[in-house]
Order: sequence, then C-alpha cells, then structure tokens
Amino acid sequence: MADRKLGLKEKYQLMTRGLDWETTYQPMDKVFPFDKYEGIKIKDWSKWEDPFRLTMDAYWKYQSEKERKLYAILDSFSQNNGQLNISDARYMTAIKLWAQGITPLEYYAHRGFCHVGRHFRGAGARVACQMQALDELRHAQTQMHAFSHYNKYFSGLHQAIHMRDRAWYLSIPKSFFEDALTSGPFEFVTSISFAFEYVLTNLLFMPFVSGAAYNGDMATTTFGFSAQSDESRHMTLGLEVVKFVLEQHEDNVPIMQRYIDKWFWRGYRLLALVGTMMDYMLPKKVMSWAEAWGIYWEENGFALFNDLSRYGIRLPKYHEIATKEKLHITHQAWNVFYTACPATGFHAWLPQPYEMDWLSEKYGETFDRFYRPRYELFGEMEKAGKRFYTNRLPFVCQTCQVPDFFTEVDNPMKQAVRHHEWRGMKFNFCSDGCKDIFVNEPEKFCQSYIPPQQIYQGNAGGARTLQEYAAWLHCPMGSDAGDYYSSDDYKNWLKWHGGRDTSPTTAAA
Amino acid sequence: MAYQLTIEPLGETIEVADNQRILDACLRAGIWLPYACNHGLCGTCKVQVLEGEIEHTEEASSFALMDLEREEGKCLACSSILVTDCVIEAEIEPEPDAKNFPIRDFFATVARIEALTPTIKGIFLEVAEGGLQFQAGQYVNVSVPGVEGPRAFSIASSPSTPGEIELNVRRVDGGAATDYLCERLKVGDRVSCSGPLGRFFVRDSAPEPMVFLAGGSGLSSPKSMILDLFECGETKQVTLIYGARTRAELYCVDLFQALAARYPNFRYVPVLSEPTPNDAWEGETGLVHEAAARHFKVLFDGLKAYLCGPPPMIEACIRTLMQGRLFERDIYTEKFLTAADAAEGLAKSPLFRRL
Repeated sequence: MADRKLGLKEKYQLMTRGLDWETTYQPMDKVFPFDKYEGIKIKDWSKWEDPFRLTMDAYWKYQSEKERKLYAILDSFSQNNGQLNISDARYMTAIKLWAQGITPLEYYAHRGFCHVGRHFRGAGARVACQMQALDELRHAQTQMHAFSHYNKYFSGLHQAIHMRDRAWYLSIPKSFFEDALTSGPFEFVTSISFAFEYVLTNLLFMPFVSGAAYNGDMATTTFGFSAQSDESRHMTLGLEVVKFVLEQHEDNVPIMQRYIDKWFWRGYRLLALVGTMMDYMLPKKVMSWAEAWGIYWEENGFALFNDLSRYGIRLPKYHEIATKEKLHITHQAWNVFYTACPATGFHAWLPQPYEMDWLSEKYGETFDRFYRPRYELFGEMEKAGKRFYTNRLPFVCQTCQVPDFFTEVDNPMKQAVRHHEWRGMKFNFCSDGCKDIFVNEPEKFCQSYIPPQQIYQGNAGGARTLQEYAAWLHCPMGSDAGDYYSSDDYKNWLKWHGGRDTSPTTAAA
Repeated sequence: MAYQLTIEPLGETIEVADNQRILDACLRAGIWLPYACNHGLCGTCKVQVLEGEIEHTEEASSFALMDLEREEGKCLACSSILVTDCVIEAEIEPEPDAKNFPIRDFFATVARIEALTPTIKGIFLEVAEGGLQFQAGQYVNVSVPGVEGPRAFSIASSPSTPGEIELNVRRVDGGAATDYLCERLKVGDRVSCSGPLGRFFVRDSAPEPMVFLAGGSGLSSPKSMILDLFECGETKQVTLIYGARTRAELYCVDLFQALAARYPNFRYVPVLSEPTPNDAWEGETGLVHEAAARHFKVLFDGLKAYLCGPPPMIEACIRTLMQGRLFERDIYTEKFLTAADAAEGLAKSPLFRRL
C-alpha cells in the first residue's frame, strides 16, 4: 500500500502537526499556564479531530478572492448611490446597532482567539483558533468598510468604538465579550465557538443578513455572505471543541454543563437586542423574533441537545423561561429604546400602522393586550405635542447589564427582579439565570462596570442629567439621538426623495 | 434517470436521482459528508469533482464557492446535481479495512427455507457464477414481486461460502415484502438481488477487543462477522450480546455455544427481555444495553463496538456505551432506515457523523 494516495486528513496532519514539540528548557505547564486551572482534564490531545483542513496557503488564496469580490460589490454600491435604495432611513437603525454593538465584538473575538490560539497545549486546536482569529479581524474590518459608505449620509456611525465604551446599552454586548475574554481558554471557546457561534448564531446572522436583503441593503447582504462562508469553520470548531472535551474525561461533563448553562443564558439575553431589531427596526420584516426562536432554538437547538444528551449533557438551565419570554421581550425592549432614545446613538419611533398590524398578527394577544395600548397612549401624547422621554437612568442587571425591563414569565404586569447579598453588598438581577451566574462567580461579577452607577458616581464626565450624559456620549438630539421623525436622518431622507416619505406600507418584502 | 456517483477515498458507488443534491444522496445512502448549513452558504460540504460533470444550483453562494474553486472543479455537495456519472473526492477518512467488492445485479435461487423462530425465517439463496463476494456485515437489496423498491437484508452466512448466502427475515405485521418472503416464497424460486452493499464491517486492523450488540433479526450481520473472524483465526477477545424477547425467539444458540466452547476468546451472552415461565430461563434478562452495562461494569473504554438491531435498541446501546466512555470513533452501527426515517434524515444536528 506504499503508493496509496494520502487521504486529506493524513496530508493535513503531515503539514501541521510537525510544527509542535514538547518543550525541554521549560516545563510544559509553564509554557501553557492557563489550560489546566479550569479543571478540564485532557488526557490525549492527539484525539483532536481537525474541524477543517485549511493550509495558510489556501487560506490566503480564498480570503483574498473573497475580499476582491466583496470590495467590488461595495464599490459599485457606493458608485450607484446604493444608500438611496434602502427601504427607508429607519432601516439604518439596524446598521447602527450592528456597527456599535456587533462589530466591536468581532474585534474582541479576534483578540480572544489570538489568546487561546497561543494557550491550548494541542497544536490542532491552536491552529484552528489562530485561523479563526484572522477571520474575526477580517469581519471587523470588512464590516467597518461596508458601513463606512453609510457614514457619509447618516448619523450614528462615526464613533463606534467610543460608543462601545460609553453607551449604556452597549455595555450589554461589551460585558458579554469581556466576560468571555477573561475566562479560561476552555470556557472561552465554549462560550464563543459553541454557545454563540453554533447554538445561537442563526439568531444573530440570519436576522441581520436577511434583514439587509429584504431592505435593499446590498452592501451588508454581500458582507454577510462573505462572512458566512467563514462561519462554517467557526461552527465546526465549536462542535469539535465540545465533543473533544466531553470525550476526554467524565469530570469535564459537569464543568461543560455549567459553561453551557451560563453562556446559553448570557447569549440569549444579548439576543434581546437582535430580536428588537427584527421586530421594530426593520421596515420590511423577515420574520418575528418569536418565529425565529421557534425555528432556530426550539427545533434546531433541541435536535442538538438531544444528540448532546448522549454525553450526559441536558438542555441549558432556564431554556423554558427563554421560550416563554419570546412573546414579550422585544416589545419591552423597544419600549425602553423609545423612551430613552435621547441617550442612544440611534433613533426610535412608534411602529407605523402596518407594523402594529404585523405585530398583532405575529404576537396575537400578548401584543394587543399588553403593548399596543402603550404605543397608542404614546401616540396620543405625540399628537398633543408631549412626546414622552424618560429622564431617569435605568436599573440594570448586574450580570447581563440589560436594563431590567423584563417581567415575570407568568405575569407580564410584574417586573422581574432578583437580589443576592454577597460580602455585605446587595446585587440586583433581571432573572434567576443571571442571578445564578453571579452566585457561581461572585468575585468576577461584583466588579461589573454598570453604566448608571458609574454615571451617578461622576465617571461619565461628571454628567448629572440624561442631557449631560448624552453630550458626553457625543450623541446630540436630532443628529444622533432622539425621535426619528425629528431627526436629521429623516429630514435628509425626505430631501433626497423629493419630499416623499418612502416608508413601506406593508411588512412583506 | 439516475446517475452513478463514486465517493473517494471510500471507493463506494451510489445512485443519485435526477435533480437530487449530492449531499442528500450520500446521507441517504449512509455516507456521511461534512456539512452544516445545507443550503449553499457555508461551504462545509465542499468536494472535489474528479470525473464527470455536475451542475451548481443557484443556492451555491459565490462566497462559499468562489469562481476560482469552480474552475478547479470544486462543488458544494448540498447545492450540486449530477449531469453525468461522477467521481468525487470528499474530506472523509479512508477505511483501510474496507474490501470494496463490486456491486452487481444478480438472480439467486431459493435452496432451502428454515423456520429459525416463530417469526424469523432463514432463507438460503444459491448464487451462480462463483457466488457473491462480500465482506461480512454487508447486505443485499432484494426485489420482492408486487412491492415497490427493493428491501435490504443483511447476509447472515460467512463470506467463505459465497455460493450460498443466508438471509434472516422477520415477518413484520402488515409488511407486504416480509409477508411474501416468509409465507409465499418457495424452494426453487428465483429472486432478483443487488449487492453487496453497506459499510458495516469489522475494523480488523484495529487492535481493540470487540463487542457485538445485536437484537431481533439484527443478528445476521454479527453472525456473519463472527463466523468470518474465527474462520480467519481471530485472537482478540470477542463478545456477543444478543437480545430476544423469549426463549422461542432466541436462535443460533447451539452455533454460538459451540463457538464459545471451542474458542476461549469468544464469549456469548444471550439475554431475554420477556422470558415466559415455560422458558425456565436462567441466563441474563433485560434489554441488550442493560446486559452490556452489567457485563462490562459500564466501562467500555478500549473496545470496538458493533451494533445491529432495531433503532430504539441502537440508540439505547449508543447512550450506554457513551456513558461508559466509548465514543463515535469506536462505535459502528448498521441502520436500516425506513422510507419515513429517511425523509427526516436531516433533522438531526451535525454533532455526530455516523451515529
């Protein structure tokens, strides 16, 4: 069999594994100081199955071709004034949320994978993480480039990194990723590669990319396709990591279960922002948050956890709460954005009549009973010249940092609040899921940098009022913040369209 | 019309229907290819076309499969259809123990029929022209008059007697094909077959001891495999745990007891799930996976496991084996999917490749 053709696996092993060696000048535990303290036991790194077999040579070739294609389309989009063909200027809110909230996460992911790409003892896992680190940097850059064209025409896109560090609602994604980045290497890959990139990825990518396609945004759609062709590697890495760790030692199972419980819940809370985008920010609707949750979690997620149960892994704790909440959270979040938009980097508005009907259709009684009346009241106040803005800072969960607008699952009229005392301090949470995470790691989460507390302590440039805070955020009313219908974006949009409001009148694309 | 698709490095050939996606055809034929999104966006299922012509469907994203890759003859298995017979190379591992005997269509003559149990018939088919070369564990497709589509039956006899192959057929209530084979088939009848098929075979180059877990008429493949192993002088430890409902449904007991008496490295553990008082059964009781857990004290690490039987038995055994630290790379199963199972074939997650 000497002349047998090498299989792809053997070829890849010959090209990658020889780069690794057992160190002799320094003990291996000093060279890889982080991959044991979590308690994860790896008996045999050679059992690692490469989730993909890509050489650097092929990687550069493919990625450069993808870039050429993407930038050709971005160029033609800007040369043809593609910004004029989006469904409505309200759509830009989704892009602002992405640029402020998601793009910085891509860069965090780059840093995280650089870190674990150095600190795993197994060469196969290191190579896979290093490749993903490059992908993530590419995603951050291509997103900024894709959005930079819009920055010439719309507000809210010019200072994403500054916003990430200062905006209260952006502490939600920021704290999510900083929690992951400061975890051990196994927790990092479980949180990002598995829970986020595998279990919940469709709930992030599909709404934005399909939302872009439905709303005439070719630039973002093309970027999305370009990124999605990398995501497959990330997803397979996530699955491989979990299988590998679970198979290495039975003591790993409870640790992985705790990671899965934690990162499912953290990811789910972060996705409240995405769900709100789907239900409220897209003028043309793709599907509702409740529908997306049904398909991507209740169907696909359950199938995955049915397979995982063979390893003794059960469904994530509180998944049934997340499923019950699907009929409420997006409406509750938009209500907060509508009332707090003087201090955000995007605009908010009341749903138009066609959108109210769509929400009734998708959410039935929950919307008509609990949320429609609220919007109708706000509408009357707007007509009377008394557009309601909140002038207080929100009460924020110590773990997920979402303002606590959530309600008890069985009583949507009652705010859900949980408390925990630790070392003489009282901490507040939005849910049992978030409280449990704190209780498991109090030393970590007692340090959470909670924007409202920081503002009151004078750490937001000394701002005492919401207006002063908005100024420190560099988000003046009218241009960057405040109601959409009194914004520069809206005025410009009318001007570019001969005074016509081009808003769609149906949800269907 | 259908095309032939050969998948390298396995060397296996399958049929692909008009407009059927390559990935779909492979998964249905029991050949796992890496895949994720299943609609042309992610690129996980990229394969190289070595011979023949394919057509990329519109689903294949120009980022997941770029022009330069198309020029190199790559395609996405989930979004490609065949326009000629084809050979593809996929990122799957070659099987050093696969013998890859050619598949052929042939007629066989019924030589004898034996009632093995009240519900299972042993059908012995004479194959002319040198007989049927097959690898122990493989199956044949049998066309049954008046029944649409062929039915798959594992070969229960050893490959050392290629001129006469044995099929074990359990009569399924209301099953037209098994009803015909068990009740109406007579000695001397000619039966249209094709084979050998399937990738369930012993990984004999592996050094690990073997355990066979079988239930019901799923004994066929393990029987053929065990006969073959000992005819070839197997020295590794081999254990067969075979489950049936009652003593009457337990068959080939004498054969396996004789083997166990002759070879100290063979252990035979019959297990009954519903023994009747008349059975006066003193052996193991319960289900196959329960007997396996007791026998191995829930520690399967360091074995190779071969599973054959009804889907609930296979699933229970996989769970027990994994609980006992034996994982996918060391577990082999033969799954006979019904048409209904195959229709929901993609509803599973991509966590496992073969199980």
